[in-house]
Amino acid sequence: MSTEEIVAMDHVSFKYGRQNVLDDISLHVKKGSFLGLVGPNGSGKSTLIKLLLGLHKQQDGTIQLFGEDHRRFRGWSRVGFVSQKAASFNSGFPATVKEVVSMGLYGKKGLFRFLTKKDRQRVEEALEKVGMREYKNKTIGQLSGGQQQRVFIARALVSDPELLILDEPTVGVDAESVQNFYTLLKELNEQQGMTLILVTHDIGAMSSYVTDVACLNKCLHYHGGIVDYEENREELMNRMYGHEVNVIEHNHDHHHHSHDHDHDDLHGGRPG
Amino acid sequence: MEWIQDWSFLERGLFAGMVIGFLSPVLGAFLFVRRMTIISEGLSHVTLTGITAGLVLMQVTAVFSWLNPLYTGLLAAIFGAFIIERLRGMYRAFEEVSVPILLSAAVGASAVLMSLVPTSYAEWYSYLFGSILTVRQEDVWFTIGVGAVTLLLMLLFYKELLAISFDQEFASVTGVPVQRVNMVFTLLLALVIALSMKIVGILLVGALIILPTAAAYLIAKSFRRMLLLGILFGEASVLGGITASYYLDVATGGMIVVCGLLLFTAALVSAFVRGRTGLGEERIT
Repeated sequence: MSTEEIVAMDHVSFKYGRQNVLDDISLHVKKGSFLGLVGPNGSGKSTLIKLLLGLHKQQDGTIQLFGEDHRRFRGWSRVGFVSQKAASFNSGFPATVKEVVSMGLYGKKGLFRFLTKKDRQRVEEALEKVGMREYKNKTIGQLSGGQQQRVFIARALVSDPELLILDEPTVGVDAESVQNFYTLLKELNEQQGMTLILVTHDIGAMSSYVTDVACLNKCLHYHGGIVDYEENREELMNRMYGHEVNVIEHNHDHHHHSHDHDHDDLHGGRPG
Repeated sequence: MEWIQDWSFLERGLFAGMVIGFLSPVLGAFLFVRRMTIISEGLSHVTLTGITAGLVLMQVTAVFSWLNPLYTGLLAAIFGAFIIERLRGMYRAFEEVSVPILLSAAVGASAVLMSLVPTSYAEWYSYLFGSILTVRQEDVWFTIGVGAVTLLLMLLFYKELLAISFDQEFASVTGVPVQRVNMVFTLLLALVIALSMKIVGILLVGALIILPTAAAYLIAKSFRRMLLLGILFGEASVLGGITASYYLDVATGGMIVVCGLLLFTAALVSAFVRGRTGLGEERIT
């Protein structure tokens, strides 16, 4: 693992209206690490990811991607993203697997440019990587949840990202596919040196694959290697989940505080 | 291009028809996958308001006596398209309400404007149901201009439109300028609807946008094929409709839609025979 920092968040805070969603978060991700970002529902995990991706703007603090302030960052094709599949796609959409994966190249190509033969080859290679090449002419809706998620990984991989961010990618995917899915991520991390950030609330399933863990519940409760995490696990869980209970007790104005902001729609593009 | 001046009304009508037979299903395919087909109905009625406003201006003021109502129709369509976008933003959880709001407002305003000027029944009929007899030389130039702009924009923004239609969040993350592309799409829609007015009329514009795509969806297995098949069905409807209306002496716009309906029925039967009717169920698993 190198010392180069892919992500550097310092003292980042974010509010929805008057409600604190993230409070003074400092999180650094080194090149080649595989970070599991865990926390209960509504803990601000998805918000943190949206800040990283430039879909929201933090009120306080700084975020750097590849050493560059992320408000000025333009190399979005270096970042791959896999979202909760159920959240953002219509399963009746008449697109083939090949068409879906091609979409991963559109941002990189820029306006007014068409895909070349080489681009189509990269689509095939990305599908090969996730073991879905034979399905390239199927429509996306014909595949199982696990297969669809592989296609979405291929869509994220096709632009050769150095950082891959996955936001609860295994929601609604059967247990066996989840195992294969994590194995695939581990391969990407170990064999290709890709940096990964995996958001999940399923702490148990990911612990044997990741190198680092960050525990989030509005503020960062733990951030370090997986081994230390396993040793202090029980105490951590108490602190993290206990914190949420305290907030509910003391905050009479915010009975709805457990509202899940993780799933709000994204209608616009990046601000600014 | 002096030869255009020698065209008969039938040639002018065929040309304008071919242009919209191509463009309408392309727009229709994107509207279809974005679940926004109903917007075309709202916009066509706003275009009517623009046309009536143009007729009033022509007849009431001497300054605008040269005006072609198609131009005011086009302006109204563009204006309406952006109003719908705004309303959709305001009623985010109930987006569909934006169409009935605009549609009723447009029809109401049209009725008031219509009552201001003496216009013959035949003229209104041609705006509501289309008539290739009324395609003038000037309209051919309008069709060429607007059609070329639309086609160019479609080609330039094809991949961005597809990415946004499939997954807006992902498109945004990869750097596709979502809001700008959505604006262009809205503009394109207004252009195509204004263009279709003369041939199929306000009440039937939606049919030419929807029917070819709905038929193509039942057969095609990729977005590209759905688009190409839609264009094929659109052109077949226009050519079949104009030919049939010429020989049978019936309304052109109506005949075009009837041809579209026949193709749609054929697609439905073929899907049924091949057991592809339960598309939704098959795809959700």
